[in-house]
Amino acid sequence: MGHAEKIWLTLVGLTAAGAWLAETGHSSWLLAFVVAGLIAFKGRMVIDHYMEMTSANTRIRRVLHLFATLVPVLVLLSHGWSDVLRRLTTIN
Amino acid sequence: MNSAAVPAPDAVPDERVYKHGRVPGNTGIWVGIFCVLVEFLLLFGVYFIAKAHHREAFLTGPDKLATVAGVTITLLLLTSGYCMVKAVETIRADRRRATFGWVVAAILLGIGYPLVKFFEIRWNVAHGIDGEAGIFYTTYYYLTLNHLVHVSWGLMGLLWVAARTAMGMYSSKDYSGLEAAAVYWHTTDVIWLVIFPFFYVLR
Repeated sequence: MGHAEKIWLTLVGLTAAGAWLAETGHSSWLLAFVVAGLIAFKGRMVIDHYMEMTSANTRIRRVLHLFATLVPVLVLLSHGWSDVLRRLTTIN
Repeated sequence: MNSAAVPAPDAVPDERVYKHGRVPGNTGIWVGIFCVLVEFLLLFGVYFIAKAHHREAFLTGPDKLATVAGVTITLLLLTSGYCMVKAVETIRADRRRATFGWVVAAILLGIGYPLVKFFEIRWNVAHGIDGEAGIFYTTYYYLTLNHLVHVSWGLMGLLWVAARTAMGMYSSKDYSGLEAAAVYWHTTDVIWLVIFPFFYVLR
């Protein structure tokens, strides 16, 4: 099995794990952490291996890595500090 | 695909090797990709703000959506992306017939996305989930349909690349157009990998 096949299988496996999580239907810090981790890990796999960013232009790589890091962080912030976000985005 | 599969810098056209490393595809596609990333970051901002203001709607919203549709779309996009990885890999070896086959496979799998979406929306509407069913579903339609538009552009790009591949216009010396379409296609993957848990998994 080649490298691309291993990456594809890993991504499919993680998608199945995400589907299983979807069926649990709970809202918790654990779910937020797992989802943030899945977004970061799967995103980095596609970016590094499918898009070949490990050997690409450093500026392009940094932007894509920033995206794959920023979104999971925002997931966690919005889960834990939604009151702050609501207050900041309320027009009185 | 590992880094060993990437040709040495002297094997790719000069204009694609810059001071900070190789640019996959071409610089033009990266301007487009960065615009798409910024656009979706803003849309994700809409999601986070809507969720902060309507906790209950986002807590129960995913329960009514068909998870199987979201999972199927994810698998179709990931597998289609894999086909484009193989397309780039085979053109580097000048295996043009194989490249054409992989691009066509990527297109066929990619077309599965709008098809699944069509049936998903039909199922949604039959179950009373339309754009006015609540803030969660409005946000869901807003983001997923926007993503579908970008996937449609990607599919059109892949069709163009398939036609050029069939005409023998790519080789191991010049495949920047094919690679540009591939990296754009993978970008739609990356964005969907965020959208999927937002609407089908997270509460």
